[in-house]
Amino acid sequence: MEQLKQNIKKMLESGEIAGFLGIKEQDGHPIPYLFTPEHLDQVDDFVVPEVRYPMAKILLNIVRKYPDKPIGVMVRGCDDRALVELVKNQKILPELVRPIGIACSQAFAEYCRCSQPFPREIHYGEKVGPVADRSDLETVESMGIPERLNYWMGQFSKCIKCYGCRNICPMCFCEQCTLEDDTLISTGEAPPEIPIFHLIRAFHMAGRCIDCGLCEEACPAHIPLRSLYRKVREEMSEYLGYVSGTEDSEKDPLEFLGSEGYEVPSKIDET
Amino acid sequence: MSDKKGGFEPKIIAFCCNWCSYAGADLAGSMRLKYPPNVLPIRVMCSGRISPHFILKAFQKGADGVLVTGCHYGDCHYMKGNYITKRRVTILKDLLKFVGIEPNRLRADWIAGSEGDKFARVARDFTEEIRLLGPSPLRG
Repeated sequence: MEQLKQNIKKMLESGEIAGFLGIKEQDGHPIPYLFTPEHLDQVDDFVVPEVRYPMAKILLNIVRKYPDKPIGVMVRGCDDRALVELVKNQKILPELVRPIGIACSQAFAEYCRCSQPFPREIHYGEKVGPVADRSDLETVESMGIPERLNYWMGQFSKCIKCYGCRNICPMCFCEQCTLEDDTLISTGEAPPEIPIFHLIRAFHMAGRCIDCGLCEEACPAHIPLRSLYRKVREEMSEYLGYVSGTEDSEKDPLEFLGSEGYEVPSKIDET
Repeated sequence: MSDKKGGFEPKIIAFCCNWCSYAGADLAGSMRLKYPPNVLPIRVMCSGRISPHFILKAFQKGADGVLVTGCHYGDCHYMKGNYITKRRVTILKDLLKFVGIEPNRLRADWIAGSEGDKFARVARDFTEEIRLLGPSPLRG
């Protein structure tokens, strides 16, 4: 950890990065913080606690303000997947971002049910294996179709339309949000129309969701949103062989046809 | 849709692309082919323009079925709209199933401008299928 702090200080001092987005402990609370070369001593307060913030999303806001500055950022496995997608969608320039990779502990990975609890490049922590847990999807899949609708309508009816899921999502970077489009959704009214409000977001997550689970953590009504998005993520992988957040796949196949565009994937053709 | 003798009359939204399917629907009319009045065509420029959000909106507003039609593969006026439509519809069907809406309420089919008879046939088949499924659970 000391070594890491020294490295970050060096990078800030040499001007390799103009700022480092990490987590600082302030009055006993870990908060996301942009460390700058002007206050190098603050880097001593840099901590890696077992809490998560949408680092990629915060980075995106910084990048929008300072588009030409190189920024270092602390990334866990989930943040790293988000970075990959942000680069693919041309929201950030890879040459201006220096990720400092943090591998999560086994206990934290299990808490997050993380499919990849480590970034591409690890600077701190020991790499642990992925956690494969489909129990949330299996619970829903074990129900009959009418029963599922009852279950989901019950869940969705708890929604207070706070937009917390969207606001925390590192993949919600659109300039205009469909959830504020009054031709699709009744705007200015709470609670929202269900299930369309949640289904629009769920479909929008196909090919985007990196399965970080921050949406579900942020939801004040405890709606199991993550299961919905995990489901579309799984479908994308099953039908189109696309897993978002990995570098080896091209752009979202629901928007771009890619090099093999004029073929209908056999699994899709059968449906 | 008004009920005939108290029976269930499905309400079906058909999105038709301007270049093939809508022309197909037009031809069905010119040929005086009969198809159920339950199907309400909406013309869009390309099936690729049909955002899944439109389909969800149709269901939200009480449609019992949604039919998405476009050109045959390789015939799309914009080259590749229908390939993307097929992908989107497939993913959306699975999502609908996951949240408890019968996936068969959504269908994608390809109808060329010369296939008036196919349009009438698809409209008939789909209406019958929806009739068997009954009213949409989202119909308020």
